[in-house]
Amino acid sequence: MKKPPHNSPIFTRYDLNVEDRHHQGARKVSSDLLLQRVADSLVTGDEDETCMAVSQALNAHKPLEIINESLIPGMQEVGRLWDLGNYFLPQVILSSDAMIAGITLCEEEMGHSMERKAKVVTHTAEGDIHDIGMQIVNALLRAGGFDVISLGADVPIEEVVDACRIHRPVMLTGTALMTTTMTAFPRIAMRLKESGLDIPFVCGGGALSEEFVTSFELGIWGSDAAQAASMAEDALSGLDWRQLRAKWNG
Amino acid sequence: MKLTDSMAYSNPQEMMFGFAQKPVTTRRGLVIGGGSVIAEIVPHPRPGSEKTLHTLLREFERANGDALERCVDIGTPNLVLENEHVFQMTDDAHWGREIAALSIRQLDEFAEQYGLKAAYRATIADLRKPDMVNIRDSERTSKVLEAFDACAEYADILSIESIGGKEIFDHCIIRNDITGMLFAQGVLGSRDMAWLWPQIVEIADKHGSIAGGDTDCSQANTAMFMAGGFTGKALSHSLAALSRAMAVGNSLVAYECGASGPGKDCAYENPIIKAITGLPMSMEGKSCACAHSSLCGNVMAAVCDLWSNEAVEYHRMFGGSTSAVFSEILSYDVASMNTAIQLGYQREYQACMVASDRYRSLQGFILSPDNAWAIGKAVVDNNQSYYARTLAAALTCGELMLADPQLYFTSYEKESLAGYMTELEKLPQEEEDFIDLCLHKYAQVKGFLPQAYGL
Repeated sequence: MKKPPHNSPIFTRYDLNVEDRHHQGARKVSSDLLLQRVADSLVTGDEDETCMAVSQALNAHKPLEIINESLIPGMQEVGRLWDLGNYFLPQVILSSDAMIAGITLCEEEMGHSMERKAKVVTHTAEGDIHDIGMQIVNALLRAGGFDVISLGADVPIEEVVDACRIHRPVMLTGTALMTTTMTAFPRIAMRLKESGLDIPFVCGGGALSEEFVTSFELGIWGSDAAQAASMAEDALSGLDWRQLRAKWNG
Repeated sequence: MKLTDSMAYSNPQEMMFGFAQKPVTTRRGLVIGGGSVIAEIVPHPRPGSEKTLHTLLREFERANGDALERCVDIGTPNLVLENEHVFQMTDDAHWGREIAALSIRQLDEFAEQYGLKAAYRATIADLRKPDMVNIRDSERTSKVLEAFDACAEYADILSIESIGGKEIFDHCIIRNDITGMLFAQGVLGSRDMAWLWPQIVEIADKHGSIAGGDTDCSQANTAMFMAGGFTGKALSHSLAALSRAMAVGNSLVAYECGASGPGKDCAYENPIIKAITGLPMSMEGKSCACAHSSLCGNVMAAVCDLWSNEAVEYHRMFGGSTSAVFSEILSYDVASMNTAIQLGYQREYQACMVASDRYRSLQGFILSPDNAWAIGKAVVDNNQSYYARTLAAALTCGELMLADPQLYFTSYEKESLAGYMTELEKLPQEEEDFIDLCLHKYAQVKGFLPQAYGL
């Protein structure tokens, strides 16, 4: 078969053009060798190695020190590399898994759970079984230190409202791939308003548009799963749904 | 069940758009794969229209009607109309039946009035989310089969986008875990298809409908969409390409169970499936940008028999409604291909479409007819088990990508691919050993129920 010459003007590989700009490694987070080893294994997303490093560090450090001086700063490094475009999503998820495993070991040593920043309730719309977007949001929120109450896929409206009533989260998220399922979201928002729960409700997924989500009260459009943790931080800092919408949408 | 052990085409040069070795004729007399490409238009209802059966019927009546009218207005000789079920149409089989009946009435009216030859494909929604229900034994499973039965009475072609293995796949894909993806696509997905498809074929036969085919959309397309374009950072393109090759082991099962094509449009693995089976396949590319972007917009047409827009939500545009506009776009796409056939330029036209995308992306590269055929050959040469052929597809796909010096990788992609290949090469030889390994490794994945796959 005839082939066009190399560098013919059929397409441009922009990924090759920009790849040199992405080369940056993780920075050191601790001068202590044991703590740095924990962070290094977390940054590479090696859960087994992270657990071993944490177990070793527990011989010399208090669990909270390990959490605050290696696991959390390590995860922040992962977030920085992701923001730079150096890391891909699976690397972030694997690091998140490693961090959670490391924290679990520290919690066992402490004899109680580490205090999370706040609760976030997540779900996928009623009638919609496509929940990989929600799984990504869950992992990124957990990596950000939030307590995630995940209701799963195809969740009835009442169940979402009840969960918000019980858990009083700082934020609720909803994902939908199908346009015919996203109509559940304004109904949830209405029920939350009726119940006096002015919880920021971040909605995202393939089916959703900014126009649709900002057409109902409480709604904030999330264009990318990667925004979830930053939005939750904003909600935790006291921004209400209107302020969140003003910041992230429009 | 004996797994396929030979190729329908003895070499990739034999494969051409519009021609399948085993064309299919619908009960309305439309021949698919018999020497011309046919447009397959897929309108999708607007949000809110699913509120009642009445509103949904009205929505489809308009969307279908606009498509048919536009075809008549611009002289499109024939058409396949597909309705992909929204949740409510499968959840209540009565809805699916009513919409299928309506669609067929519309096709028959246009056939009678203008002589427009058309067929209707009903694609049932797979509601059996594996981490929510036992996919072999649940109310949702019954509803899926009931919806098939209800629609088969009217539809010319039946399809589904089945989701066996999805619980493991979703867990693994966001963790760069190709072993788990192979287990999900090659073993779990295949075993589910082998359970589901004989039932679909039986229903189709009972009603005189055609059991079209399936797609690994829920897995391989998830990978392709996550990989995205050149600036995407959600997934490596090499993993998405390997996932596409692994989709073959899965989608092929439908045809081994008696499906006769046309395969489902969103199965980007269909060039490989066509190379193996010789059955007509629906494909999509540039004209489904309304549904999603891809890096293989032209090459996907190289060996298609139906050419689809995947799904377009019903709205008004300057040029009419979306279903009318996309019917026109598809009609002219296929008119070009059919003109090439009539003038004897099909080989040249195919070469242009392939060359457009062959080195644009890994997905385009492996779906070029020669590589698609080579992956298919690896599948049939390793037919000892679902696992063996899926592993062979992935390894061959990786080897093809690494062997072509004109295919450029970013350093991340190259490193990633090398890592996946190393992992694949270390996997056990025998399917039983692989299954044992995976049952242990993924025992804790939420909702994974081995017995739902007969394990």
